[in-house]
Amino acid sequence: MFAWATAAPAIASAFLASFVEIVEALTIVLAVVSLRGWRPAIAGTLASLATLAAIVLALGPLLSRVPLGALQVTIGILLLLFGLGWLRKASLRAAGVIALHDEDAIFAREAAELGAEVARRETSRDWIAGMAAYKAVLLEGLEVVFIVIAVGAGRGLMVPAGIGALGACVVVLAIGAVVHKPLSRVPENTLKFVVGVMLSTFGVYWTGEGLGVAWPGGDLALLAIGLLFLATAAGTAIAARRLATA
Amino acid sequence: MIRDVLLELYSMFAGDARMSLSALAVVGVSAVLAVEVSTAAGGALLLGGSLIVLATSILAAARRKP
Repeated sequence: MFAWATAAPAIASAFLASFVEIVEALTIVLAVVSLRGWRPAIAGTLASLATLAAIVLALGPLLSRVPLGALQVTIGILLLLFGLGWLRKASLRAAGVIALHDEDAIFAREAAELGAEVARRETSRDWIAGMAAYKAVLLEGLEVVFIVIAVGAGRGLMVPAGIGALGACVVVLAIGAVVHKPLSRVPENTLKFVVGVMLSTFGVYWTGEGLGVAWPGGDLALLAIGLLFLATAAGTAIAARRLATA
Repeated sequence: MIRDVLLELYSMFAGDARMSLSALAVVGVSAVLAVEVSTAAGGALLLGGSLIVLATSILAAARRKP
């Protein structure tokens, strides 16, 4: 059984990060629904989930064979790269340097591209639509799988991280089933900013632990590292906005 | 499809190649410092270096904006 004080950050990180990814996948699945109905969308989604489950079942047991120190360093570095990437992008969007992620625009673009592709083919239109859903769920799902592994594997928190990701999946699908349109009101950039801070924090912490660093205050150091990342990213975003508008 | 998956994986970790390489360099030097000097120095460089890499990458992108 895990302690909630340790598990809560893993659940929250996995939930928020997965939420962002699943919202993106839902947008494309809904574009498929708008063109060819639920059948190819559901078939593509289920096939993709089966592929992801096969990948997890095939590669998951290998993780337990990797020594903890090596696992922490490897996952820590990957988390750091992944987290810094999200934080950089979210900061640049907040600063107005790059455009905000717009689910409505993505929905319209995907629907138009898929519509053109379907119109070109005389046959197998449902197949093309199903493949679009399959690809979207597979690509975003791979990120969710990585997030669960990265957040959970270094500390034996795979179950809490999995619960977080599953919770995000249930919440997004429930909202999507009710509203039947892209979740454009989700404050995606704010979520990405927060998740970027969390992932970068875990990345530095676990890489350091893997290198033998004894962080002052133990797990409390996570909070201090997180605040430093938050302050740096927020401060730099403000400076970037001034630079971009100068 | 495989190409798209590989591209997605690449963009997950190296969306901005310069920042990712800089972060890897920070980790590498921190590892050497942790082994050769002290783990505290390695940890300090790892944290400080990561923050600097992030800040400089954001500011560089803002400066490049047309």
